[in-house]
Amino acid sequence: MTWSAYLPIWPLSISPALWLALTLVVAVLVGEALMRYLRLPRIVGYIGIGLLLGPGGLALIPQLPATEWRLVVDLALGILLFELGSKVNLRWLKANPWIAGTSLLEAAATFFVVYGLLLWFDIAGVTAAVVATIAIATSPAIVVRTVTESRAQGQVTDRLLLMTALNCIYAVIFHKLAVAFMHGETGTSFIHTVLPPLYLIGGSAALAWLFGITFERIHHHLGQHEETFSFVLFGMIAFATIMAATLKLSPILVLLAAGLITRYRRQRSRTFPPHFGSAGAVLVVLMFIANGLAADLSGLRDSALLVLLLIMARAIAKSLSVLVLAHYSGIGLRQAMALGVALVPMSSVALLLTLDTAVAFPAFGSGMGLVLMSCIVILELAGPIIVQAALRAAGETPETKI
Amino acid sequence: MSLMPFAPSRPLSIGVELELQLLSCNDYNLISSAPDMLRRIAKFPHAGDIKPEMTRSMIEINTSVQQEYGALVEELRSLRKVVSDAGRFLNVAVAGGGTHPFQHWSEQKIFDAPRFHYLSELYGYLAKQFTIFGQHVHIGCPGPDEALHLMHMLSRYVPHFIALSASSPFVQGHDTGFASARLNSVFSFPLSGRAPFVLCWNEFEQFFDKMTTTGVVESMKDFYWDIRPKPEFGTIEVRVCDTPLTVEIAAAIACYIQAMSRYIMVEQRVAPEEDDYLVYTFNRFQACRFGLEGVFIDPRTHEQRSVREDIADMLTRIADHATELRATEAMERLREILTVGNGTSWLRQTYAREHNLGNVMQLQAELWMGSN
Repeated sequence: MTWSAYLPIWPLSISPALWLALTLVVAVLVGEALMRYLRLPRIVGYIGIGLLLGPGGLALIPQLPATEWRLVVDLALGILLFELGSKVNLRWLKANPWIAGTSLLEAAATFFVVYGLLLWFDIAGVTAAVVATIAIATSPAIVVRTVTESRAQGQVTDRLLLMTALNCIYAVIFHKLAVAFMHGETGTSFIHTVLPPLYLIGGSAALAWLFGITFERIHHHLGQHEETFSFVLFGMIAFATIMAATLKLSPILVLLAAGLITRYRRQRSRTFPPHFGSAGAVLVVLMFIANGLAADLSGLRDSALLVLLLIMARAIAKSLSVLVLAHYSGIGLRQAMALGVALVPMSSVALLLTLDTAVAFPAFGSGMGLVLMSCIVILELAGPIIVQAALRAAGETPETKI
Repeated sequence: MSLMPFAPSRPLSIGVELELQLLSCNDYNLISSAPDMLRRIAKFPHAGDIKPEMTRSMIEINTSVQQEYGALVEELRSLRKVVSDAGRFLNVAVAGGGTHPFQHWSEQKIFDAPRFHYLSELYGYLAKQFTIFGQHVHIGCPGPDEALHLMHMLSRYVPHFIALSASSPFVQGHDTGFASARLNSVFSFPLSGRAPFVLCWNEFEQFFDKMTTTGVVESMKDFYWDIRPKPEFGTIEVRVCDTPLTVEIAAAIACYIQAMSRYIMVEQRVAPEEDDYLVYTFNRFQACRFGLEGVFIDPRTHEQRSVREDIADMLTRIADHATELRATEAMERLREILTVGNGTSWLRQTYAREHNLGNVMQLQAELWMGSN
């Protein structure tokens, strides 16, 4: 028997997973410190540490194996999207059509302002359109997480959740349409340009509907056992995500719609624990760290001005749209400003749409894709702070610190 | 500051104030939406008055001066419509009931107005604990001495009003066992209870002046009595009722007090005695705790019966007065409560069926807002 039989060989060969585990601990501690001493949202710490230690920052953590992480990210985003959908009351749109109006105006204004800006920068029309559709989406992950963490309640909070759900739906659908045009431009027939969005909407709706019904059944029988229920739910979310991908549908649309449908069909209001239990919360934390690790700021080097203008133009479009219709939709000036600003964060949904486009069109990935990535990183880091400040300014967070 | 002179008012005219709960449609917890609601409501002309209350999850509706049940219930329904429409527009549910079953008092926010901030400073957490919802009924009196007379005579029937309106069994997530747990929150205020036994307005003014010179009170508003005179309106104000679960019951209870006042002023004509108050707190407690099943001790005969029996007896005695005031429909509604139960029974039955206080609150809001 030799030393080496039971002692580790020096230098230690350390698996990347160890660094990751360590990152998790550090990120959570930093998040907690930010919350306690600076009253900043915890997720700033999660994303920030991921960004700082990852390939985009100090590069202490090697590039992650994408496929293994993808499941975590998809599952966590699925949880957040389903959670967002199930918090949103679609009937409200009927009682207050001005909110639907605000949502449509906000999305249209964002699209056209971003589109116009990119044309001015001599970007090809169809590429500009793809980017503009992605810019429509507010980050559901940041919104849901920040609202949960700050325990906000009120008009701005309710509208923020509703308008985020809606603009994600617009973004996914119009992105598909824009990408179809991109395909059209690269030489496929008209029918293959029109059918994809129709298949996407119809297929996603059907899958979401099935999910919704199954969810209600399972909740009816297992709702009392919170833990069991949450595990079954995660299984279902993973299944729906993979199924949607297999059928070339949008997992984003499917889970968001599933949440909306469950809420719409429900007779009694139901509250679920945040992220459907602590297992969900762990996944959400991991997702934010992963987003930080995946951050890519290289777009800033070549097109810092465009990135900056893009962020500003988008924020102005969203804020002004909300402001214009505030009076009719029944909120005050201060609330409207808070709501407009809170719609600014970008994160996972925009990231996934960008990555999907880049896979189909590598040229996009190395061009406008990088610009978008930089916008996303900035708005992902600033997003939670902005949303929290907006909700506080609107007076919708609890008065006493807990 | 001395007491205002007692304004003239039409005898037996009535006015109703209802404090209402504002709820989130997501979890049916209280939500601080009063500023949003009031901003929305201000855009529509409406009868009566809609006002803020101590915390931002409350709103108060006041009727104008009314003479009889029909018009009163109509005005309350139109106020309900204004408030419910604003609620639907803002994704806020509105409900009756004396307490919110699972709100946490520390999460309530004080409405931004000088008086509420002053009270919040003075009473501390009591102000936030005061997120409870009551019905106040004004009865017009021909003069100040008559008002004091009526106030003391009505005091004897305070348990009736409590038991009929009781709709607050749940507090902070639990069944308290009380029919009206709301009143327990009122008792913690230093100037709660009953008015002093004085029968002429001069003496009452002297009492008030003495109290103001001690610095304890500044105006009548600082007395949280069960029944108190309201000189600027020329009325007495009965303040013990929980906000009932529907406006119809609120109107019926107001008309019960009105018919009883007519009976006291026109038919009974007996002078109140200080000894009537010997059983006051006992009877009141019984009604709070057990509602219609509570024990009621007659202060004069010392006879014991249930509050329900005493109300049934009173309904027979005032039947002619109710007819005269065109309030027979109101009396029918009250007889119905005696058989099917008050708001508290409805809440307990609903909870037994739903096993979830959020669902109870949702159904309570649906009941109050009505179908349209």
